[in-house]
Amino acid sequence: MFRKTTKQLSDWLIAATSSRSFALLAPIAVALLLGACSSNHPRDTLNPAGDGAQISAWFFWLYMILDTVIFAIVVGALTIALLKFSKKKGDDDSLPPQNHGNMKLEVIWTVIPTLILVVLGVITIGGVFKLAEKPAEEQKVIEVDVTGKQWWWEFDYRDSKISTANELHVEEGTQVALHLTSADVIHAFWVPRVSGKRDATPGRSYPLYFKPFEKGEFVGQCAELCGASHARMGIKMIVHPVKGADSYDNWVKGQLAQAAAPTTALQKAGKKVFETKGCASCHTIRGVKELSQRSRTTGPDLTHVGSRTTIAALALTNNEENLAKWVKNPQSVKEAALMTNLNLSDADAKAVAAYLFSLK
Amino acid sequence: MSAKLHDIEALQAPEPHMHYERPGKTGLMDWLTTVDHKKVGVVYWAAGAFFLLVGGLEALLFRIQLAVPDNDFMGGETFNGLVTMHATTMVFLAIMPMTAGFANFLVPLLIGARDVAFPRLNAWSLWTFLGGALVINASFLFGGPPAAGWTGYAPLTGPEFGGTGIDFWWSGLALLSASSMAASINFIVTILNMRAPGMTLLRVPVLGWMMLVIQFLLALSFPPVTVGLILLGFDRMFGTTFYNVSMGGDPQLWQHLFWLFGHPEVYVLILPAMGIVSEILPVFARRPLFGQTAVIFSGIFIGFVGFGVWAHHMFTAGMGPVADAAFAATTAIIAIPTGVKIFNWLGTLWGGKMTYPTPMLFAIAFIPIFTLGGLSGLMHAAAPLDLQQHDSYFVVAHFHYVLVGGALLGLFAGTYFYFPKVTGRMMSDGLGKAHFWLFLIGMNITFFPQHMLGNEGMPRRIYTYPADAQWDLYNMLGTIGVIIMTVAMLIFVYNVIVSVKKGAIAGRDPWDAATLEWLTESPPKVQNFDFTPIVLSERPVWDHKYTEGMEIIAPEKGESFHMPSYSWKPMISSGFVLMLIIGILLNTFMPGNWLWIVAALAAVGVVGSVWAWVSEPV
Repeated sequence: MFRKTTKQLSDWLIAATSSRSFALLAPIAVALLLGACSSNHPRDTLNPAGDGAQISAWFFWLYMILDTVIFAIVVGALTIALLKFSKKKGDDDSLPPQNHGNMKLEVIWTVIPTLILVVLGVITIGGVFKLAEKPAEEQKVIEVDVTGKQWWWEFDYRDSKISTANELHVEEGTQVALHLTSADVIHAFWVPRVSGKRDATPGRSYPLYFKPFEKGEFVGQCAELCGASHARMGIKMIVHPVKGADSYDNWVKGQLAQAAAPTTALQKAGKKVFETKGCASCHTIRGVKELSQRSRTTGPDLTHVGSRTTIAALALTNNEENLAKWVKNPQSVKEAALMTNLNLSDADAKAVAAYLFSLK
Repeated sequence: MSAKLHDIEALQAPEPHMHYERPGKTGLMDWLTTVDHKKVGVVYWAAGAFFLLVGGLEALLFRIQLAVPDNDFMGGETFNGLVTMHATTMVFLAIMPMTAGFANFLVPLLIGARDVAFPRLNAWSLWTFLGGALVINASFLFGGPPAAGWTGYAPLTGPEFGGTGIDFWWSGLALLSASSMAASINFIVTILNMRAPGMTLLRVPVLGWMMLVIQFLLALSFPPVTVGLILLGFDRMFGTTFYNVSMGGDPQLWQHLFWLFGHPEVYVLILPAMGIVSEILPVFARRPLFGQTAVIFSGIFIGFVGFGVWAHHMFTAGMGPVADAAFAATTAIIAIPTGVKIFNWLGTLWGGKMTYPTPMLFAIAFIPIFTLGGLSGLMHAAAPLDLQQHDSYFVVAHFHYVLVGGALLGLFAGTYFYFPKVTGRMMSDGLGKAHFWLFLIGMNITFFPQHMLGNEGMPRRIYTYPADAQWDLYNMLGTIGVIIMTVAMLIFVYNVIVSVKKGAIAGRDPWDAATLEWLTESPPKVQNFDFTPIVLSERPVWDHKYTEGMEIIAPEKGESFHMPSYSWKPMISSGFVLMLIIGILLNTFMPGNWLWIVAALAAVGVVGSVWAWVSEPV
């Protein structure tokens, strides 16, 4: 706790005086460039993997160059002024020139920035409309209804029954259209390497269009304060290749299948726990129990929960041990989690975890 | 040419006769009943400085939590509460009242007036502000602080999701709003009507002008957010559904009402600091402000355009490309007058003969640091880029550069600069410089790396983050920087306390300055000026000293100044308004008819006390 903090503090102090972090104390503009260039970062907005993020990054560099020039002019002029126009030892008390201004200069430093901003404004407005462009009808579009809930994400694929949680699967090079809404408060969907963010507002559905062009896994999280566990509302976007065993089509096929039947005795016991101890009043497992109506408190569809790599919106890695920990006491994993603590026995928790993990 | 024609310190005028309706109080009673703008200003400033420390402490606590990944120093709800209170405190209870302190103390002196236009209303504003501050902070004692962010986005603040802290938050803010609106009318009337003879509008010092501009911003921007707050209160108390989407309400209504206030509010925070810097730079460069008229008009222009940019806070909210494009364009326009100011400050220094006492250091540092904050703001104006930066640490870096590097550095500069006028004593220059350097280094170590954090995808207002997100280095730096700033602030507090008692005696005009406030004694007498200055230029005192640019009319023998008398009425009236808010809070904790009983009593009290107020002889 506090000790951990202070220990880390001293560790960092030592590191800071010996390593690259010292570079931060170097001139400010240089540091910003250095920092912005570190591109191996898992959520780097400037290392785009989707067209939305690419447009944003392009604008970043455009404005970064402009800002660097302006900042250099201001700091340069200030530095020269400090060097040249300081009162020096031995100077008498005579007054410096008492002129009140210069009309020509006023006009110059009003008109030139105005012209620059007009050009930038036109480019910027172009970017705004480009990002809002609806995808053309004839191309393949993966359309997903995204519902932000305290504190997880529900992804309902429009052209199938697939409903998954927190892990959004899409295809490399294929247009994606997310339709964002919320079941409770305002959330914001943000996967920095793929696209800028978009609010998920209750009662409304806003589109977010992007096309991922790099395969792999990209993480992000909710970006609008949404309550106690706002920090634990992660998103993982998995961009599948078009072909191969790991293809998007194969993933869809797997998700469309009904839930796997339990095979071991433990899994069978777990299924029983799911059906009898209350889990099924909020969770769907297709072929076992389907909810007829969804509500704000409805939990994720668990038909293929075993195929996910994480649970509780990226709070835990998905394995039997963590699943048991989660179902036994959700609030110990995630503050104020809305999932009911059913007071399962250790045996029940273990069984239901085994069953859920088998639902690949 | 440097020899002075007149020595300000040697000014002498016959002691005028002062006429009061009632003899004054002394000691504590004097402070409680005062209507003197100078005393009101000192209380405002002191309250603001106190809450600056409180808000800093809140930041220190949550920076400890963020120092390392997966930390469990505090939980999410506690963190959200501290973040909300930090921002609410810094904006409404620290920077605004410190600014109000400068406005109250200085505006009548800057324009050569004896007091503000409505001295008792001024006192009412002060007590109502203190009541609001009390209410908001009382949430810590009763049910926990508000935790929906200082922006309080519905429906997180609504009856379904927001805790009892939200009731303290909205009702306290409503009080602050009433206080600000009353003060704004007061100062508009004062500046427009009570200038010394010869002081045309364009001879009003830049600080006076910026204060005038922000009064218009306050008067016009607080009404929308007050409506928003009252609708929120109705939703929470009476079950209306203004923001409840399942009943046909609209959560985005709140965002528009809030930012229609929130963006002009940004200029309320920064313009006075720009005014202070515009006063200080010429004094220590020993030149007139370069392009004073351009600096004034750019401030007015910022005030106007400031009302047309609010929705740039909502680019990710899904307003559609037309609105996004329009607000991106209006926002970029703000860069032009801001640039004009920066270039004119540089023009002031250019060709000067600069010396560097503490106020000058803060004022000079203001220029590049504020420029940096302005430039990152220009990035946010580009809507396609803002989609990444919005609600990320990049925005956190931006507004801290503007509000800490801008507003707060300006207020520190002003504090060191005007301290001798307020107390008659100088602050320690050595301690001041230690404060300056530590604070400057601390703030840059904290906030600069936050640009990188934002680019690396860290959202704001998260109470913890996983180690594999690789945000630990910059967060640790942030925490270290806050510790350095804390040390700097302790030095500042020590400096203020010691200098009040033991600072060197200042005299009327310790900095060889140019404007009317330096003509009078330090601290000024209750009547401000013993004589009437006739202003012939925008630098009356400088010109008086060096070029015969001002005339001074001494009062005639037997002439008597009528000064406003002390009054209990402002505090009593403000107390009844506070009572109304207490009724609302009682309703939160003990639902029943409390609200109506207390409200009815409070209403009677307000009417009665205002009646007594207006019929009181002054």
